Amino acid sequence: MQKFFSNRRLVITVVILVVCFGLMGGSIAMRNRRSTPPLIQQFGNDIAGFADGIVAYPVNAVQGVADSVSGLMNAYTENRELKQKVSELAQVKVRDQTLAKENKQLKAELKLKNSLTDYSTVSAAVMSRTPSSWQQQLVINKGQTSGIKKNMPVLSGGGLIGRVAEVNKTNSKVELLSDTSESSNRFSIVINGTDGKSVNGIITGYNARTNELIMGQVTSTAKIKKGAKVVTNGMGGITPKGLYVGKVSRIGKDDYGLAKKVYIKPATNFNEINIVTVAELND
Amino acid sequence: MYRLSRLRYVFPLGLFAALFLDGSLSKIFAGFFFHYPYAMVSQLVIVWLVCSYFFEGDIQIPLIGFSVVAGIFCDLYYSGILGLFMFLYPMVVGLTKLLAKYITSSFPMIVLVFLIDLTVFELFNYWAYAAVGIAKVGLGGFLLDTLLPTLLLNLVYLLFLYFPLQKLITWAADIERR
Repeated sequence: MQKFFSNRRLVITVVILVVCFGLMGGSIAMRNRRSTPPLIQQFGNDIAGFADGIVAYPVNAVQGVADSVSGLMNAYTENRELKQKVSELAQVKVRDQTLAKENKQLKAELKLKNSLTDYSTVSAAVMSRTPSSWQQQLVINKGQTSGIKKNMPVLSGGGLIGRVAEVNKTNSKVELLSDTSESSNRFSIVINGTDGKSVNGIITGYNARTNELIMGQVTSTAKIKKGAKVVTNGMGGITPKGLYVGKVSRIGKDDYGLAKKVYIKPATNFNEINIVTVAELND
Repeated sequence: MYRLSRLRYVFPLGLFAALFLDGSLSKIFAGFFFHYPYAMVSQLVIVWLVCSYFFEGDIQIPLIGFSVVAGIFCDLYYSGILGLFMFLYPMVVGLTKLLAKYITSSFPMIVLVFLIDLTVFELFNYWAYAAVGIAKVGLGGFLLDTLLPTLLLNLVYLLFLYFPLQKLITWAADIERR
Protein backbone atom coordinates (compact mmCIF):
# COMPACT_ATOMS: atom_id res chain seq x y z
CA MET A 1 0.00 0.00 0.00
CA GLN A 2 2.94 2.32 0.75
CA LYS A 3 4.16 1.84 -2.75
CA PHE A 4 0.70 2.17 -4.25
CA PHE A 5 0.12 5.62 -2.86
CA SER A 6 3.44 7.08 -3.94
CA ASN A 7 3.47 10.83 -4.52
CA ARG A 8 2.87 10.61 -8.23
CA ARG A 9 -0.02 8.17 -7.89
CA LEU A 10 -1.61 10.32 -5.21
CA VAL A 11 -1.44 13.41 -7.42
CA ILE A 12 -2.96 11.52 -10.34
CA THR A 13 -5.75 10.15 -8.13
CA VAL A 14 -6.59 13.60 -6.83
CA VAL A 15 -6.57 15.07 -10.33
CA ILE A 16 -8.89 12.31 -11.57
CA LEU A 17 -11.24 12.88 -8.64
CA VAL A 18 -11.37 16.61 -9.32
CA VAL A 19 -11.99 16.09 -13.04
CA CYS A 20 -14.61 13.44 -12.32
CA PHE A 21 -16.65 15.55 -9.92
CA GLY A 22 -16.11 18.68 -12.01
CA LEU A 23 -17.53 16.94 -15.06
CA MET A 24 -20.44 15.48 -13.14
CA GLY A 25 -21.33 18.76 -11.50
CA GLY A 26 -20.96 20.56 -14.80
CA SER A 27 -23.16 18.17 -16.72
CA ILE A 28 -25.85 18.14 -14.05
CA ALA A 29 -25.92 21.94 -14.02
CA MET A 30 -26.00 21.99 -17.82
CA ARG A 31 -28.81 19.46 -17.81
CA ASN A 32 -30.92 21.53 -15.47
CA ARG A 33 -30.35 24.79 -17.26
CA ARG A 34 -30.17 24.17 -20.98
CA SER A 35 -32.97 22.89 -23.16
CA THR A 36 -30.60 20.69 -25.17
CA PRO A 37 -27.24 19.18 -24.30
CA PRO A 38 -24.10 20.52 -26.03
CA LEU A 39 -23.80 19.54 -29.69
CA ILE A 40 -20.95 17.12 -29.15
CA GLN A 41 -22.95 15.28 -26.50
CA GLN A 42 -25.95 15.14 -28.82
CA PHE A 43 -23.76 13.80 -31.58
CA GLY A 44 -22.40 11.05 -29.34
CA ASN A 45 -25.89 10.15 -28.24
CA ASP A 46 -27.20 10.00 -31.79
CA ILE A 47 -24.42 7.66 -32.87
CA ALA A 48 -25.05 5.52 -29.80
CA GLY A 49 -28.77 5.51 -30.50
CA PHE A 50 -28.20 4.38 -34.06
CA ALA A 51 -25.93 1.54 -32.95
CA ASP A 52 -28.34 0.62 -30.16
CA GLY A 53 -31.02 0.08 -32.77
CA ILE A 54 -29.01 -2.77 -34.24
CA VAL A 55 -28.98 -4.58 -30.89
CA ALA A 56 -32.27 -3.31 -29.46
CA TYR A 57 -34.61 -4.13 -32.36
CA PRO A 58 -33.92 -7.88 -32.48
CA VAL A 59 -34.02 -8.11 -28.68
CA ASN A 60 -37.29 -6.19 -28.58
CA ALA A 61 -38.67 -8.39 -31.34
CA VAL A 62 -37.96 -11.47 -29.21
CA GLN A 63 -39.75 -9.79 -26.33
CA GLY A 64 -42.65 -9.01 -28.66
CA VAL A 65 -42.97 -12.69 -29.60
CA ALA A 66 -42.85 -13.75 -25.95
CA ASP A 67 -45.50 -11.17 -25.11
CA SER A 68 -47.75 -12.36 -27.92
CA VAL A 69 -47.51 -15.95 -26.73
CA SER A 70 -48.45 -15.00 -23.18
CA GLY A 71 -51.15 -12.74 -24.59
CA LEU A 72 -52.60 -15.68 -26.48
CA MET A 73 -52.86 -17.66 -23.25
CA ASN A 74 -55.05 -15.03 -21.63
CA ALA A 75 -56.98 -14.18 -24.77
CA TYR A 76 -60.19 -16.01 -23.91
CA THR A 77 -60.93 -14.49 -20.51
CA GLU A 78 -59.70 -11.10 -21.60
CA ASN A 79 -61.90 -11.17 -24.66
CA ARG A 80 -65.00 -11.77 -22.57
CA GLU A 81 -64.25 -8.80 -20.34
CA LEU A 82 -63.28 -6.54 -23.20
CA LYS A 83 -66.45 -7.26 -25.18
CA GLN A 84 -68.48 -5.75 -22.38
CA LYS A 85 -66.28 -2.70 -22.30
CA VAL A 86 -66.40 -2.19 -26.06
CA SER A 87 -70.16 -1.73 -26.09
CA GLU A 88 -69.86 0.95 -23.43
CA LEU A 89 -66.93 2.54 -25.17
CA ALA A 90 -68.71 3.01 -28.49
CA GLN A 91 -71.29 5.15 -26.74
CA VAL A 92 -68.59 7.18 -24.97
CA LYS A 93 -66.68 7.67 -28.19
CA VAL A 94 -69.65 9.01 -30.12
CA ARG A 95 -70.47 11.38 -27.28
CA ASP A 96 -66.83 12.42 -27.16
CA GLN A 97 -66.82 13.23 -30.85
CA THR A 98 -69.99 15.25 -30.55
CA LEU A 99 -68.61 17.19 -27.63
CA ALA A 100 -65.31 17.81 -29.39
CA LYS A 101 -67.16 19.18 -32.39
CA GLU A 102 -69.35 21.36 -30.25
CA ASN A 103 -66.28 22.54 -28.36
CA LYS A 104 -64.61 23.50 -31.61
CA GLN A 105 -67.66 25.45 -32.76
CA LEU A 106 -67.93 27.27 -29.45
CA LYS A 107 -64.24 28.12 -29.55
CA ALA A 108 -64.64 29.51 -33.04
CA GLU A 109 -67.57 31.57 -31.78
CA LEU A 110 -65.37 32.99 -29.03
CA LYS A 111 -62.50 33.52 -31.47
CA LEU A 112 -60.41 31.31 -29.20
CA LYS A 113 -57.63 29.63 -31.12
CA ASN A 114 -56.13 26.91 -28.96
CA SER A 115 -56.77 26.12 -25.35
CA LEU A 116 -54.88 23.95 -22.90
CA THR A 117 -56.62 20.79 -24.05
CA ASP A 118 -55.39 21.04 -27.63
CA TYR A 119 -52.32 18.95 -28.04
CA SER A 120 -50.70 16.79 -30.65
CA THR A 121 -48.81 13.58 -29.98
CA VAL A 122 -45.65 11.86 -31.15
CA SER A 123 -45.36 8.10 -30.69
CA ALA A 124 -41.99 6.54 -29.99
CA ALA A 125 -40.58 3.13 -29.14
CA VAL A 126 -38.54 2.53 -26.02
CA MET A 127 -35.03 1.35 -26.95
CA SER A 128 -33.46 0.76 -23.58
CA ARG A 129 -33.50 1.61 -19.94
CA THR A 130 -30.68 3.01 -17.82
CA PRO A 131 -29.07 0.07 -16.02
CA SER A 132 -28.92 1.84 -12.69
CA SER A 133 -30.72 1.56 -9.40
CA TRP A 134 -31.02 5.31 -8.93
CA GLN A 135 -31.94 6.71 -12.29
CA GLN A 136 -35.27 5.56 -13.67
CA GLN A 137 -34.75 6.60 -17.25
CA LEU A 138 -35.84 5.29 -20.62
CA VAL A 139 -34.24 6.01 -23.98
CA ILE A 140 -36.81 6.54 -26.72
CA ASN A 141 -36.20 6.62 -30.46
CA LYS A 142 -37.53 10.09 -31.31
CA GLY A 143 -35.82 13.42 -30.77
CA GLN A 144 -35.65 17.02 -31.94
CA THR A 145 -36.25 16.03 -35.55
CA SER A 146 -39.68 14.69 -34.56
CA GLY A 147 -40.49 17.85 -32.65
CA ILE A 148 -39.74 16.64 -29.16
CA LYS A 149 -38.61 19.25 -26.67
CA LYS A 150 -37.36 19.10 -23.14
CA ASN A 151 -39.92 18.81 -20.31
CA MET A 152 -42.72 17.53 -22.52
CA PRO A 153 -44.99 15.04 -20.73
CA VAL A 154 -44.79 11.40 -21.75
CA LEU A 155 -47.69 8.95 -21.67
CA SER A 156 -47.93 5.21 -22.00
CA GLY A 157 -50.66 2.63 -21.53
CA GLY A 158 -53.24 5.37 -21.06
CA GLY A 159 -51.52 7.23 -18.28
CA LEU A 160 -48.79 9.75 -17.57
CA ILE A 161 -45.38 8.14 -16.99
CA GLY A 162 -42.90 10.99 -16.85
CA ARG A 163 -41.27 13.81 -18.74
CA VAL A 164 -38.56 14.29 -21.32
CA ALA A 165 -35.28 14.97 -19.51
CA GLU A 166 -32.82 15.24 -22.40
CA VAL A 167 -33.32 15.68 -26.13
CA ASN A 168 -30.88 14.76 -28.86
CA LYS A 169 -31.45 14.89 -32.59
CA THR A 170 -32.82 11.37 -32.98
CA ASN A 171 -33.37 10.05 -29.48
CA SER A 172 -34.25 11.35 -26.06
CA LYS A 173 -34.29 10.35 -22.45
CA VAL A 174 -37.46 10.10 -20.41
CA GLU A 175 -37.36 10.43 -16.66
CA LEU A 176 -40.08 8.28 -15.08
CA LEU A 177 -42.38 9.52 -12.34
CA SER A 178 -40.78 6.93 -10.09
CA ASP A 179 -37.37 8.63 -10.31
CA THR A 180 -36.25 10.14 -7.04
CA SER A 181 -34.91 13.38 -8.53
CA GLU A 182 -36.76 16.52 -7.50
CA SER A 183 -38.01 17.59 -10.88
CA SER A 184 -39.14 14.30 -12.37
CA ASN A 185 -42.62 14.09 -10.89
CA ARG A 186 -43.64 17.70 -10.27
CA PHE A 187 -46.77 17.73 -12.39
CA SER A 188 -49.65 20.06 -11.76
CA ILE A 189 -52.77 17.96 -11.27
CA VAL A 190 -56.44 18.26 -10.42
CA ILE A 191 -58.88 15.91 -8.69
CA ASN A 192 -62.62 16.38 -8.94
CA GLY A 193 -64.31 16.13 -5.57
CA THR A 194 -67.75 14.64 -5.03
CA ASP A 195 -69.28 17.97 -4.03
CA GLY A 196 -68.54 19.71 -7.29
CA LYS A 197 -65.37 21.39 -6.04
CA SER A 198 -62.06 20.40 -7.50
CA VAL A 199 -58.69 20.19 -5.82
CA ASN A 200 -55.64 21.56 -7.60
CA GLY A 201 -52.14 20.66 -6.55
CA ILE A 202 -48.87 19.15 -7.61
CA ILE A 203 -47.37 15.72 -7.33
CA THR A 204 -44.82 16.04 -4.56
CA GLY A 205 -43.37 12.57 -4.29
CA TYR A 206 -43.45 8.90 -5.06
CA ASN A 207 -43.76 6.03 -2.64
CA ALA A 208 -41.78 3.17 -4.14
CA ARG A 209 -42.95 0.65 -1.55
CA THR A 210 -46.61 0.91 -2.44
CA ASN A 211 -46.16 2.29 -5.99
CA GLU A 212 -48.17 5.42 -5.24
CA LEU A 213 -47.73 9.03 -6.27
CA ILE A 214 -48.23 11.55 -3.49
CA MET A 215 -50.02 14.87 -3.77
CA GLY A 216 -48.98 16.71 -0.67
CA GLN A 217 -50.11 19.83 1.19
CA VAL A 218 -53.76 19.65 0.23
CA THR A 219 -55.66 22.13 2.40
CA SER A 220 -58.85 22.21 0.36
CA THR A 221 -61.99 21.01 2.13
CA ALA A 222 -63.44 19.44 -1.00
CA LYS A 223 -64.53 15.86 -0.51
CA ILE A 224 -62.35 13.44 -2.46
CA LYS A 225 -63.51 9.90 -2.88
CA LYS A 226 -61.30 6.86 -3.22
CA GLY A 227 -61.15 5.93 -6.88
CA ALA A 228 -61.57 9.50 -8.15
CA LYS A 229 -59.69 10.11 -11.39
CA VAL A 230 -56.63 12.35 -11.36
CA VAL A 231 -55.69 14.38 -14.43
CA THR A 232 -53.20 17.12 -15.23
CA ASN A 233 -54.65 20.62 -15.00
CA GLY A 234 -52.53 22.33 -17.64
CA MET A 235 -50.94 24.90 -15.36
CA GLY A 236 -47.34 25.72 -16.14
CA GLY A 237 -47.86 25.97 -19.86
CA ILE A 238 -45.95 22.91 -21.04
CA THR A 239 -48.22 20.07 -19.99
CA PRO A 240 -51.64 19.97 -21.65
CA LYS A 241 -54.80 19.79 -19.58
CA GLY A 242 -56.56 16.49 -19.12
CA LEU A 243 -53.78 13.89 -19.28
CA TYR A 244 -54.78 10.92 -17.17
CA VAL A 245 -52.48 10.27 -14.20
CA GLY A 246 -54.24 7.65 -12.11
CA LYS A 247 -56.81 7.04 -9.43
CA VAL A 248 -56.93 8.12 -5.80
CA SER A 249 -56.06 5.09 -3.69
CA ARG A 250 -56.20 6.59 -0.19
CA ILE A 251 -56.15 9.87 1.65
CA GLY A 252 -54.00 10.52 4.68
CA LYS A 253 -52.80 13.34 6.91
CA ASP A 254 -49.38 14.91 6.50
CA ASP A 255 -46.75 14.66 9.23
CA TYR A 256 -48.14 17.58 11.24
CA GLY A 257 -51.81 16.76 10.81
CA LEU A 258 -52.54 20.13 9.22
CA ALA A 259 -52.95 19.23 5.58
CA LYS A 260 -54.08 16.21 3.65
CA LYS A 261 -51.94 13.90 1.59
CA VAL A 262 -53.59 12.22 -1.36
CA TYR A 263 -52.13 8.95 -2.58
CA ILE A 264 -52.57 8.19 -6.27
CA LYS A 265 -52.22 4.82 -7.95
CA PRO A 266 -50.60 5.50 -11.35
CA ALA A 267 -52.45 4.18 -14.39
CA THR A 268 -49.37 2.57 -15.92
CA ASN A 269 -46.92 0.03 -14.58
CA PHE A 270 -43.57 1.81 -14.89
CA ASN A 271 -41.74 -1.47 -15.44
CA GLU A 272 -43.67 -2.55 -18.54
CA ILE A 273 -43.28 0.23 -21.04
CA ASN A 274 -42.62 -0.48 -24.70
CA ILE A 275 -44.34 2.30 -26.61
CA VAL A 276 -44.69 5.85 -25.37
CA THR A 277 -46.56 8.93 -26.54
CA VAL A 278 -45.07 12.37 -26.11
CA ALA A 279 -47.68 15.12 -25.83
CA GLU A 280 -47.03 18.57 -27.23
CA LEU A 281 -49.20 21.54 -26.45
CA ASN A 282 -50.35 23.36 -29.59
CA ASP A 283 -49.55 27.07 -29.63
CA MET B 1 0.03 -9.13 -30.98
CA TYR B 2 -3.44 -7.63 -30.68
CA ARG B 3 -3.42 -6.31 -34.21
CA LEU B 4 -2.82 -9.71 -35.75
CA SER B 5 -5.37 -11.70 -33.82
CA ARG B 6 -9.08 -12.10 -34.41
CA LEU B 7 -9.58 -10.32 -31.10
CA ARG B 8 -9.23 -7.01 -32.89
CA TYR B 9 -12.74 -7.63 -34.25
CA VAL B 10 -14.15 -9.85 -31.56
CA PHE B 11 -13.24 -7.72 -28.56
CA PRO B 12 -14.79 -4.39 -29.62
CA LEU B 13 -17.86 -6.17 -30.99
CA GLY B 14 -18.35 -8.06 -27.76
CA LEU B 15 -17.82 -4.91 -25.72
CA PHE B 16 -20.47 -2.99 -27.60
CA ALA B 17 -22.90 -5.90 -27.60
CA ALA B 18 -22.45 -6.05 -23.83
CA LEU B 19 -23.04 -2.30 -23.51
CA PHE B 20 -26.27 -2.34 -25.48
CA LEU B 21 -27.49 -5.56 -23.93
CA ASP B 22 -27.17 -3.98 -20.47
CA GLY B 23 -29.73 -1.37 -21.50
CA SER B 24 -31.96 -3.73 -23.45
CA LEU B 25 -32.06 -6.36 -20.73
CA SER B 26 -32.82 -3.68 -18.15
CA LYS B 27 -35.76 -2.63 -20.27
CA ILE B 28 -37.12 -6.10 -21.01
CA PHE B 29 -36.74 -7.52 -17.53
CA ALA B 30 -37.52 -4.23 -15.76
CA GLY B 31 -40.23 -5.92 -13.72
CA PHE B 32 -37.70 -8.42 -12.45
CA PHE B 33 -34.60 -6.23 -12.18
CA PHE B 34 -36.31 -3.31 -10.48
CA HIS B 35 -38.85 -5.19 -8.39
CA TYR B 36 -39.24 -3.16 -5.20
CA PRO B 37 -37.23 -3.02 -2.97
CA TYR B 38 -34.46 -4.64 -5.00
CA ALA B 39 -32.58 -3.13 -7.90
CA MET B 40 -30.25 -5.23 -9.99
CA VAL B 41 -27.74 -3.44 -12.16
CA SER B 42 -26.86 -5.42 -15.23
CA GLN B 43 -23.10 -5.18 -15.86
CA LEU B 44 -22.28 -7.42 -18.79
CA VAL B 45 -19.53 -4.93 -19.63
CA ILE B 46 -17.57 -5.88 -16.53
CA VAL B 47 -18.12 -9.58 -17.28
CA TRP B 48 -16.66 -8.98 -20.73
CA LEU B 49 -13.73 -6.88 -19.52
CA VAL B 50 -12.71 -9.29 -16.77
CA CYS B 51 -13.07 -12.37 -18.99
CA SER B 52 -11.10 -10.68 -21.76
CA TYR B 53 -8.29 -9.86 -19.38
CA PHE B 54 -7.99 -13.40 -18.07
CA PHE B 55 -8.44 -15.25 -21.37
CA GLU B 56 -6.45 -13.02 -23.70
CA GLY B 57 -3.29 -15.08 -23.21
CA ASP B 58 -0.20 -13.38 -24.59
CA ILE B 59 -2.20 -10.82 -26.50
CA GLN B 60 -2.45 -7.50 -24.80
CA ILE B 61 -5.78 -5.91 -25.59
CA PRO B 62 -5.66 -2.14 -24.96
CA LEU B 63 -8.26 -2.65 -22.24
CA ILE B 64 -7.84 0.73 -20.57
CA GLY B 65 -8.54 2.61 -23.78
CA PHE B 66 -11.57 0.53 -24.62
CA SER B 67 -12.93 0.79 -21.11
CA VAL B 68 -12.68 4.59 -21.26
CA VAL B 69 -14.67 4.54 -24.51
CA ALA B 70 -17.25 2.21 -22.96
CA GLY B 71 -17.45 4.48 -19.93
CA ILE B 72 -18.00 7.61 -22.00
CA PHE B 73 -20.72 5.77 -23.89
CA CYS B 74 -22.44 4.77 -20.64
CA ASP B 75 -22.24 8.32 -19.32
CA LEU B 76 -23.65 9.86 -22.47
CA TYR B 77 -26.26 7.36 -23.47
CA TYR B 78 -27.53 5.83 -20.26
CA SER B 79 -27.09 8.27 -17.43
CA GLY B 80 -26.74 11.58 -19.26
CA ILE B 81 -24.28 12.71 -16.60
CA LEU B 82 -20.75 12.82 -17.90
CA GLY B 83 -17.75 11.93 -15.79
CA LEU B 84 -18.35 8.82 -13.75
CA PHE B 85 -18.23 5.61 -15.75
CA MET B 86 -15.41 6.93 -17.93
CA PHE B 87 -13.23 6.64 -14.83
CA LEU B 88 -14.88 3.67 -13.15
CA TYR B 89 -14.47 1.17 -16.00
CA PRO B 90 -10.71 1.82 -16.36
CA MET B 91 -10.47 1.57 -12.60
CA VAL B 92 -12.07 -1.87 -12.73
CA VAL B 93 -9.54 -2.93 -15.36
CA GLY B 94 -6.69 -1.58 -13.23
CA LEU B 95 -8.02 -3.37 -10.17
CA THR B 96 -8.30 -6.63 -12.09
CA LYS B 97 -4.70 -6.30 -13.22
CA LEU B 98 -3.58 -5.55 -9.69
CA LEU B 99 -5.45 -8.51 -8.19
CA ALA B 100 -4.35 -10.85 -10.95
CA LYS B 101 -0.78 -10.54 -9.69
CA TYR B 102 -1.71 -12.29 -6.46
CA ILE B 103 -3.84 -15.15 -7.74
CA THR B 104 -3.68 -18.10 -10.08
CA SER B 105 -6.00 -17.88 -13.06
CA SER B 106 -8.40 -20.59 -11.97
CA PHE B 107 -12.19 -20.52 -12.18
CA PRO B 108 -12.96 -19.80 -8.49
CA MET B 109 -10.24 -17.14 -8.32
CA ILE B 110 -11.55 -15.35 -11.39
CA VAL B 111 -15.05 -15.40 -9.91
CA LEU B 112 -13.62 -13.92 -6.71
CA VAL B 113 -11.80 -11.15 -8.59
CA PHE B 114 -14.98 -10.43 -10.54
CA LEU B 115 -17.01 -10.08 -7.36
CA ILE B 116 -14.41 -7.77 -5.77
CA ASP B 117 -14.36 -5.66 -8.96
CA LEU B 118 -18.11 -5.38 -8.98
CA THR B 119 -18.33 -4.50 -5.30
CA VAL B 120 -15.73 -1.75 -5.64
CA PHE B 121 -17.42 -0.51 -8.83
CA GLU B 122 -20.85 -0.30 -7.23
CA LEU B 123 -19.48 1.26 -4.04
CA PHE B 124 -17.73 4.02 -5.97
CA ASN B 125 -20.80 4.48 -8.15
CA TYR B 126 -22.99 4.84 -5.06
CA TRP B 127 -20.55 7.13 -3.30
CA ALA B 128 -20.16 9.48 -6.28
CA TYR B 129 -23.89 9.60 -7.07
CA ALA B 130 -24.70 10.16 -3.40
CA ALA B 131 -22.19 13.02 -3.36
CA VAL B 132 -23.82 14.79 -6.31
CA GLY B 133 -27.31 14.09 -5.00
CA ILE B 134 -28.64 11.45 -7.38
CA ALA B 135 -28.60 8.43 -5.09
CA LYS B 136 -30.79 9.12 -2.09
CA VAL B 137 -30.72 5.88 -0.15
CA GLY B 138 -28.73 5.14 2.99
CA LEU B 139 -25.64 2.96 2.95
CA GLY B 140 -27.52 0.08 4.57
CA GLY B 141 -30.26 0.23 1.98
CA PHE B 142 -27.70 0.35 -0.78
CA LEU B 143 -25.79 -2.69 0.50
CA LEU B 144 -28.90 -4.79 0.97
CA ASP B 145 -31.15 -3.68 -1.88
CA THR B 146 -28.71 -2.80 -4.63
CA LEU B 147 -25.30 -4.33 -4.04
CA LEU B 148 -26.43 -7.81 -3.03
CA PRO B 149 -28.95 -8.35 -5.85
CA THR B 150 -26.48 -6.83 -8.33
CA LEU B 151 -23.75 -9.23 -7.24
CA LEU B 152 -26.16 -12.15 -7.54
CA LEU B 153 -27.38 -11.20 -11.00
CA ASN B 154 -23.90 -10.65 -12.39
CA LEU B 155 -22.63 -13.81 -10.74
CA VAL B 156 -25.32 -15.70 -12.65
CA TYR B 157 -24.19 -13.94 -15.84
CA LEU B 158 -20.59 -14.95 -15.19
CA LEU B 159 -21.41 -18.56 -14.32
CA PHE B 160 -23.39 -18.93 -17.54
CA LEU B 161 -20.94 -17.08 -19.73
CA TYR B 162 -17.62 -18.20 -18.26
CA PHE B 163 -17.00 -21.26 -20.41
CA PRO B 164 -18.52 -19.91 -23.65
CA LEU B 165 -16.47 -16.73 -23.28
CA GLN B 166 -13.34 -18.72 -22.45
CA LYS B 167 -13.79 -20.70 -25.67
CA LEU B 168 -14.59 -17.62 -27.72
CA ILE B 169 -11.76 -15.43 -26.47
CA THR B 170 -9.11 -18.13 -26.55
CA TRP B 171 -10.20 -18.95 -30.10
CA ALA B 172 -10.05 -15.31 -31.10
CA ALA B 173 -6.70 -14.85 -29.39
CA ASP B 174 -5.06 -17.29 -31.81
CA ILE B 175 -2.93 -15.38 -34.25
CA GLU B 176 -4.20 -16.04 -37.74
CA ARG B 177 -1.76 -18.01 -39.80
CA ARG B 178 -1.78 -17.33 -43.43
